[in-house]
Amino acid sequence: MADLATLLFTALGLVFFAAGTVGLIRFPDTFSRLHALTKADNLGLGFIALGVAFQAESWAQVARIALIWVLALLAAGAVAQLVARAALMRRGGA
Amino acid sequence: MTAWLSFVAIGVLASLAGALWRVWRGPAPADRMMAAQLVGTGGVAVLILLAAVQDWAALDVAVALALLAALAAVGFVKAGTPDGAGDPEEEAPPADMQLSAMTPDAAAQVGRTRRDPDRRRGDG
Amino acid sequence: MDGLWIRAVAHRGAMLGAIWAALSAPDPEGLALGLVAVPAAVALSLRLLPARHPLILWRLALHLPRFLAGSVTGGVDVARRAFARKMPLDPGWIDVPPEPSGGLPGGARVALGGELSLMPGTLAAGCDGDRLLVHVLDRGGRFDASIPREAREIAAIIGHRRDRPQGGA
Repeated sequence: MADLATLLFTALGLVFFAAGTVGLIRFPDTFSRLHALTKADNLGLGFIALGVAFQAESWAQVARIALIWVLALLAAGAVAQLVARAALMRRGGA
Repeated sequence: MTAWLSFVAIGVLASLAGALWRVWRGPAPADRMMAAQLVGTGGVAVLILLAAVQDWAALDVAVALALLAALAAVGFVKAGTPDGAGDPEEEAPPADMQLSAMTPDAAAQVGRTRRDPDRRRGDG
Repeated sequence: MDGLWIRAVAHRGAMLGAIWAALSAPDPEGLALGLVAVPAAVALSLRLLPARHPLILWRLALHLPRFLAGSVTGGVDVARRAFARKMPLDPGWIDVPPEPSGGLPGGARVALGGELSLMPGTLAAGCDGDRLLVHVLDRGGRFDASIPREAREIAAIIGHRRDRPQGGA
């Protein structure tokens, strides 16, 4: 049962990582690529974390995986804004 | 299960490699900055998977990487401001950014909505 | 020693304590060290970011499921566009008027931008004066209702009151 959940969620995660990469390569402009990277990769990480959590041997490991995911989520939101902002600046200066 | 998780880890690495093509090609500096985000999410995902495959101690590495990736991205962005130490929030967006960043159609749309008389023009 | 300060100490202590527990569990020595580290971290955080706004936890708790659902929808939406043979994209900037975001203090505005960056179709690029700069994947989407709604929810979480109850535009 746990193995089935791991299989399902990690597979989903892999799909979203692939989607992020495809978007990053295919999307026409920098900002659209940033959308793809931020949203898809972050969801991919969330699903992989969820999938691996089903394999954890203790609650401490589950807590650590949750902490990693929360940190990554916060970082993604903040970093996407920063990079978008920096890209705006450079467009004008370059 | 170990074999499957290893496969997923390899898949995530392959997708990272594909994304690095964009980092390599650019063209905008921001396209290259996305490398920091890639390591933050993809690298952490690989570490989580490896933790389940090999040794749960890798989770501690993943925590550190998740923290440092955010700081690395801040560093990337800060290094990109003109004086090398600035905060992008302190500067006004360049006036011609839309014209170079977007399709003429989109720029026309912004032209309708953005009107700011004292906006200064970019250097270029 | 007002109520705001006590609440901030309690909230931050609980949050940093939970992080410490997650990091050091199940080692009892590590947990004991947290008795020193967590109060020190709370003191530092109060110095760096003094308590100015109360955090209304039940509103935050109510908001979280919506945020998670939105970020899943956002990922699915962007994946759908990326995999589609003919990419359905119409990217551009929208300029969010000061009303929804301008009333928010700086930190809450950053939170709003970060949240919007994970929601379907929107990506924040900081503020220009009082206005939030938002890049959208599809200019045909209806964002003039969703962005003010997010702003209102975040304002409610920090107990921030605006004079006008409803967003215009």
